[in-house]
Amino acid sequence: MRTRRYELLAAIGFLLPNFAGFVVFTAGPVLFSLAVSFSNWNLQRTIPFQWIRLGNFIELMHDPNFWLYFVNTAYLMLGMPVAIAGSLFLAILLSQRLRGIVVYRTLFYLPTFTSGVALMILWKALYNPDFGPVNAAVNWAISTFHISDLVRALGGTGVTAPTWLLATKNVLGLDVEQVRMVRGQWGLGARDALIIMGVWIGIGGSNMLLYLAGLSNIPEELTEAAQLDGASNWNIFRHVTWPQLAPTTFFIIVMSFIGGLQGGFEQARVMTLGGPAGTTTTIAYYIYTKAFEEFQIGYASALSWILFSIIFVITIINWRIGHRELSY
Amino acid sequence: MKVFFAVTFGILVLLSVAAWKIKPKSDTGGKIPLVWVSDDNPTRREQIALFNRLHPGYQLRLDPGNTGMEKVIVQSLAGVGPDLFDCYDAYSLAAYVRSGVAWDITDQLAKAGIDVRRDVWPAVLPLITRDGRVYGYPTNAAVNAIWINQDLFDRAGMPYPTGSWTWQDFLPIAKRLTLRDERGRIKQFGLFCDWYNWPQFVMQWGGRIYTPDGTRCVLDSPQAVEGIQFLHDLMYKYHVMPSPVEEATIATQGGWGSGTISFFAGGKGAMALGGRWWLCSMRSYERLRLGVVECPYGRIRVFRGYGRATLINGNSPRRHEALEFLRYEAGKDYNALINHQADALSPAIRYCYTPEFLHDAEYPQEDFNAVWRDVMKYSEPEDISPFVNGQAAARILNKQLDLVKSDQKPVAAALRDAARQVNEEIGKTLDRDPSLRARYRKLSGKGRPE
Repeated sequence: MRTRRYELLAAIGFLLPNFAGFVVFTAGPVLFSLAVSFSNWNLQRTIPFQWIRLGNFIELMHDPNFWLYFVNTAYLMLGMPVAIAGSLFLAILLSQRLRGIVVYRTLFYLPTFTSGVALMILWKALYNPDFGPVNAAVNWAISTFHISDLVRALGGTGVTAPTWLLATKNVLGLDVEQVRMVRGQWGLGARDALIIMGVWIGIGGSNMLLYLAGLSNIPEELTEAAQLDGASNWNIFRHVTWPQLAPTTFFIIVMSFIGGLQGGFEQARVMTLGGPAGTTTTIAYYIYTKAFEEFQIGYASALSWILFSIIFVITIINWRIGHRELSY
Repeated sequence: MKVFFAVTFGILVLLSVAAWKIKPKSDTGGKIPLVWVSDDNPTRREQIALFNRLHPGYQLRLDPGNTGMEKVIVQSLAGVGPDLFDCYDAYSLAAYVRSGVAWDITDQLAKAGIDVRRDVWPAVLPLITRDGRVYGYPTNAAVNAIWINQDLFDRAGMPYPTGSWTWQDFLPIAKRLTLRDERGRIKQFGLFCDWYNWPQFVMQWGGRIYTPDGTRCVLDSPQAVEGIQFLHDLMYKYHVMPSPVEEATIATQGGWGSGTISFFAGGKGAMALGGRWWLCSMRSYERLRLGVVECPYGRIRVFRGYGRATLINGNSPRRHEALEFLRYEAGKDYNALINHQADALSPAIRYCYTPEFLHDAEYPQEDFNAVWRDVMKYSEPEDISPFVNGQAAARILNKQLDLVKSDQKPVAAALRDAARQVNEEIGKTLDRDPSLRARYRKLSGKGRPE
């Protein structure tokens, strides 16, 4: 009995520093922000502090910017399936038994080591509409394959290279000022530029590593049995590899949703300042501007909790669907 | 387990004590340390060095990593703010005052014999005064004029423009100086003008951003629409100024002294709308032959005055000592240095009326300094409203003006939406702030803008 008590004390002793840190630096601020979200707390001292119950949440539901920026956030997540598929493809390539495969793995993982800000500055230069390499390639393709003439022949008005980070256009034709689609906004613009960059960063990142680990855990006898049965490579992938990777895919999807909904801050801060015309402002960047530029800490806290709720609900849905799919 | 836990705990305690003991202490050699949050303009180092030389009891240090209103306010409220910080506009001053960060130094300056209303350019007074109280001293004062690349004028065989002129006088000159290559792409622009100069066009056409009492945004007035339309037409109708796409080719990473300045100085444009502070960067272009002429005007001969100011953090334990820096900014040495460095114009008017200002022996080719102080006389500060957060208003205005700039929305529609949304934002601010609500009602007789 005495030994058990000593062991319990020792365990508490070991856990206490970490737990205290968690309470002070994580749980405390989180709960504090929950409380603050029911207040009008503003860093401007002329506004007296008041508890306003659900006032911030009600205002938020009527805030057109919130919905616009939520759509922006969701739009930027459109690249997620491509990034996940790319990671899987790359992981399959890098799981082959080739000489120097470690070098390849390192090279593909390099973007993850590099500072995000440095990558974004690089991509900003790549997207320069006039002298950026991206448009150099696009212009070359347009002139070499006479794409403009082709489009004109089909009744269009010709094709020019996108202006990327300067354009409000997007693949879905989302309007700038309202949540709706309009024909005039159809094209490629800043949001698509960020998606392409995100896919590039995402393909060789930690998702690839997770898939590599998942692939190495697939029992070889399953693949061998399928081969003995005469299954093609595609069928082996479809009926053996893919189901075996389901838990990894599920984890990656859940984490990508969480990351995607919280994302967009760095890109907005470094590359676009949320523009042009607010098209790259995401919920995360909006929280920052509300809290630290407009000093509405209460409102920003409410925004954060709404974002948390959305992430929570989507994770639950993912979990339900994923759990059903994983029960094989 | 007990022994392991005790030893680990003991080691942690020892390491903590050791870390505390060897913690580097800021060695100021008995001097009073002051921290100034300002941009990393190369001229700033020299301004600081001069202060430290003239005030041996002080050690002033630049902190360029924490510029930005949000950082200054949050850090100051948390007790780790700077002693001195820059303020770029009246909106920021309002935010600093309302958050309790800016120290009211009206009485201290009066005791030191400094009368800002008498001494400094009126265009920068809104950066330091609010509701009759004084919160700082201007670091410099600026107004824009037209920079001229004399070589490009000579090459075109055109005389340099002079004196007071209108935008209609300007247009044929700019058109002749806009040159295209064999593929039809513009290789030399007639004018460079940063889009953020749009308020000057509103002012020059007789428009306003807000009513004089700031109770309502009136950017949808016909005059304001006409002014912005002209700015838009410079890009899309007259093609003498780069559009955003063309501008992107010149834009580097922003920051001090980049973008339009380097493009103009690199000979890609014959004229540019900019301030005297451009010289800080352009002096390094040795072959560049420069001239300056007053900026053209629309209907009214008025120019947007601007500048920077230094405020003192009211939460700083060294706020009384920091006053010495403001006294320095009001003095002859600092003002002469500002004029010599061409960090815009000296904040104190009288130092712009010296022979050294007109003819700096080190830069004899700069024979245009009289233009700046003459244009400054016609300068006015940009409109602001005390009833809306500057960042919130900027977010709304920038969004609509971005659409105009990229030719996606007609000017009238954009400014109508901008005015409506800013007025809605004023309404929301009044809902939140009872003191502003009372003030608004007193001024307008209404509860909120219609």
